[in-house]
Amino acid sequence: MLDISDLVTAYGKIDALKGVSLQVETGKITCLLGPNGAGKTTLMMTIAGLLHPRRGSIRLAGTELVGLSPARIVAHGIALVPENRLVFPQMSVRENLLAGAYQRNDKVGIDADLERMYARFPRLKERNEQLAGTLSGGEQQMLAVARALMSRPRVLLMDEPSLGLAPLIVAEIFNIVHELNRDGTTIFLVEQNAHMALQVAHRFLLMEQGRITFKGMPGQLAEAEVIQRAYLGTRRAVG
Amino acid sequence: MIDLIQNTIDGVMIGSSYGLLALGFTLIFGVMRRLDLAYGPSIMIGAYFGTILYLHYGAGPFAVAIAVVIGAAIAGIYVERLCFAPMKAGAAIASMVSSFAIWMQLEQAALLVLPRHTYPFPPLSTGAPLAFGPFLVRIDHLIMLVSTLGLTAVVHLTLHRTRFGLALRAIIGNPVAAHLVGIDVRRAVLVAFAGASSVGGAAGFLVLAVDQQVTPMFGMWATMKGLIAMMIGGLGSVPGAVVGGVLLGIVEAHSQWYFGPQIRDLVAYFLLFAFLVVRPRGLLGCPPDSVLPQKA
Repeated sequence: MLDISDLVTAYGKIDALKGVSLQVETGKITCLLGPNGAGKTTLMMTIAGLLHPRRGSIRLAGTELVGLSPARIVAHGIALVPENRLVFPQMSVRENLLAGAYQRNDKVGIDADLERMYARFPRLKERNEQLAGTLSGGEQQMLAVARALMSRPRVLLMDEPSLGLAPLIVAEIFNIVHELNRDGTTIFLVEQNAHMALQVAHRFLLMEQGRITFKGMPGQLAEAEVIQRAYLGTRRAVG
Repeated sequence: MIDLIQNTIDGVMIGSSYGLLALGFTLIFGVMRRLDLAYGPSIMIGAYFGTILYLHYGAGPFAVAIAVVIGAAIAGIYVERLCFAPMKAGAAIASMVSSFAIWMQLEQAALLVLPRHTYPFPPLSTGAPLAFGPFLVRIDHLIMLVSTLGLTAVVHLTLHRTRFGLALRAIIGNPVAAHLVGIDVRRAVLVAFAGASSVGGAAGFLVLAVDQQVTPMFGMWATMKGLIAMMIGGLGSVPGAVVGGVLLGIVEAHSQWYFGPQIRDLVAYFLLFAFLVVRPRGLLGCPPDSVLPQKA
């Protein structure tokens, strides 16, 4: 579904992504693990069009996304649940969801999707008219996920959805990830929480210092090694 | 007592035009989080468009009003393209300084086209003031107040009832997230700039029609009044802008009556100073931390 090849993204003279190639398969959960500073968020921002790669290609079902504006990329079917959620704090829950459907014009479909989101996330329905900035961290995360789904994405990107949340809430978020995927959503997940991520992922990738250093299935690598490399990187693990 | 009430009435009327100036300023600040010092000068350019039509073609007040609004919108777009669109996020100082440069440029351009210091501006109404008991209300002041209330309502409804308004509020809330939900942020910002400058243009027309003259200094005047009213009312608040403007107008009217016109401006600046010290978020502004994305 999503086919990335030889992607290089730089901040000034420093390459944050040094030739990343990977595939996200239709209907699967693909999980990207790696230590801080490996370039995971840079990769997500590049796919979403907020950062421009120096070279390489990002294809969604054959369509090249590199060079398109973030708005066009959303229209093509990519939705990113950003790190730290980034809900619109001064807008109500409902308005946040409507903003998520900004690229769509089918009012009937949007209303139906609103109802689907309320059914899936009852907390959001309870807090429909409340300002998003007043929600708890877990509720904001659910809102960020629901907002992304409102664009009816073909691939849902999630950047560290468990960040800063209590363990119970993290479990709930991963349960939602699992359910969304069971209902047919293709998910590309970036995580620090390797233990939880390996439980839901069909495929996983390790990223270290701007490169993909391992691709495989959960269970192919001992969890202890995955965790070590995901948190610390290979170099220190070897040393 | 009659003086007190009459001064307050005059203050509310004049203050409503300050509120309208602040409204445009608030929109620009809210969307960009940057100060556009060339906001007033853009309005002045619009006013010169209107004056040229008046002087050379004898245009009536309505045609002049349209010309001022369109001229201000065009100047606003020019400022946005030059000072805001090319600047990277985080380069707020660069935008502010370049908007100062554009301010000087617009003032010089106005002087080149019409070199005298003042030019006549068409009056809105020359009829006698309306009497309400012992109190007098000028007709052009009344038009000013009604226009301000009407335009504020239009801005408020646009922000809260339309798709474009949803996009603008999303950008105000979090520009990165606005990109991520598929809003064309650059285009929305440009349209917002044109709209805000049009609102400023309407305010400029109403003020100048009361003064019946225009000078290149009007740009600075409009920036100062709009800025003070916006700071008093609360950064980023639409109702706050109008309330701040009206309060500024009332304070000015009273201090002019009791202390004279020189002291009046001093009092206005003192009011701004007092607000910055005691209540920096203004009357209706949000507490600073509620605007930022919340941590878990």
